Amino acid sequence: MGEGILNKIAAGDKTAVEECLKKYGGLVWSLARRMLRNSDDAEDAVQDIFLDVWKNSGKFDASQSSETTFIAMIARRRLIDRIRFTSRRISADALDEMMSEPVDRADKKMQTSLEANDAVRALDSLRPEQQQVLQLSIVQGLSHQEISDRTGMPLGTVKTHARRGILQAREFLGLGTLDSSKEVHA
Amino acid sequence: MSDEEREKMLDLLCDKFVYGLSEEESQKLDDLGFDPGEAVSIERTIAALGLVDLDAESPMPASLHEKLLRGADEHFKAESVEVREIVLSDGPRVPWFGWLGWAAAAVASIALAVTLFTSKGPENRAALPGTPPPTPEERLDPAQQRQKLIESDAQVIMAQWGETGGVSGDVVWSDAKQAGYMRVKGLAKNDVSKETYQLWIFDETQSEKTPIDGGVFDINTDGEVIVPIDAKLKVKNPGAFAITIEKPGGVVVSTRGRVAALAPVKPAKV
Repeated sequence: MGEGILNKIAAGDKTAVEECLKKYGGLVWSLARRMLRNSDDAEDAVQDIFLDVWKNSGKFDASQSSETTFIAMIARRRLIDRIRFTSRRISADALDEMMSEPVDRADKKMQTSLEANDAVRALDSLRPEQQQVLQLSIVQGLSHQEISDRTGMPLGTVKTHARRGILQAREFLGLGTLDSSKEVHA
Repeated sequence: MSDEEREKMLDLLCDKFVYGLSEEESQKLDDLGFDPGEAVSIERTIAALGLVDLDAESPMPASLHEKLLRGADEHFKAESVEVREIVLSDGPRVPWFGWLGWAAAAVASIALAVTLFTSKGPENRAALPGTPPPTPEERLDPAQQRQKLIESDAQVIMAQWGETGGVSGDVVWSDAKQAGYMRVKGLAKNDVSKETYQLWIFDETQSEKTPIDGGVFDINTDGEVIVPIDAKLKVKNPGAFAITIEKPGGVVVSTRGRVAALAPVKPAKV
């Protein structure tokens, strides 16, 4: 299974690269396309991200996080850096679909990883307003102001929902506050 | 920390990992202080939530897949997977104050950090983990590679190391080639079991707090050395270069505690 891929890469096993791309390439590519506006940017970003993955594979610790989360963290950092540099907002092509009510995922397709399923359950455990704010901010990439404008919620309320929602999701996911001395820094 | 301050700190941490922070916001977060463990737990939560509805089965373009394989191949050629400590971009609590501040730090630390060497030896080369070995058709020495880069790009920029502390030399960098070389003389040999040198690149894409890692290297010989730059991110229009002394393996964000040399870019082209 995939949980040893990064360790193999860290050990210099070149064959694990193909395995890693097969298992996580789609995740990173999809994340990049969702957060960036065009495919050229996404392709550049994906190359940066995987270079970071190769370089930092030795810091992966399965006792601290899954490979999926580790790679997603690296990816988000690179993508956020790129977005901030280019001052471009995350794509909101499907915005209208997101604006009505919190998403009912019962009829949605299966999430593509155990981590995603856990995240869905965490999201579903939140109050509807929190779900909506996190869906629009983290998944769709809207700013707090944009969420406020679209939903009619006061800006301060949006921020509060975002903060409380993330902290409650953290509790749900069992992440809590970690011992920084044991932390894997991605 | 008051409840209000903690609330603000948490807001900033959440914003950091959803949107990123401006310099002003980063400074505010630094001023408030936070537990790095808490920061990472929030980052993980956000990364996990970011997986929701992600179409992770969507294949990437075949051309990109090939590029990634080639990139990985180059990486494996370059190093036996150098393990580097990655820290949160604003993890260190030591405040930064831009590259001009590095100059002052260099003056302060150079007497302790640097022993002067005056012998010449352009054939000498620092050991730089992460530098790909030359391919058979590129068996040029570092000086020749540097010259080749200069001749290949009219827009190559140059920065001179300040003379402070007897460190001299220059840096050449090509945005187009995303390659560069530093020549340096006057850096002390380092004990590789205790410390390493690390190059930093200040460019327009990065905050002055988080310059681009230009690679770690060791000085194992007297005299002038020429070191290929191993930038970890794409560099655009660099304004300055700096060398710090770090723990073995280097760091991703320097505390800027020991600055060995600084080279601001001058307008003149090579």
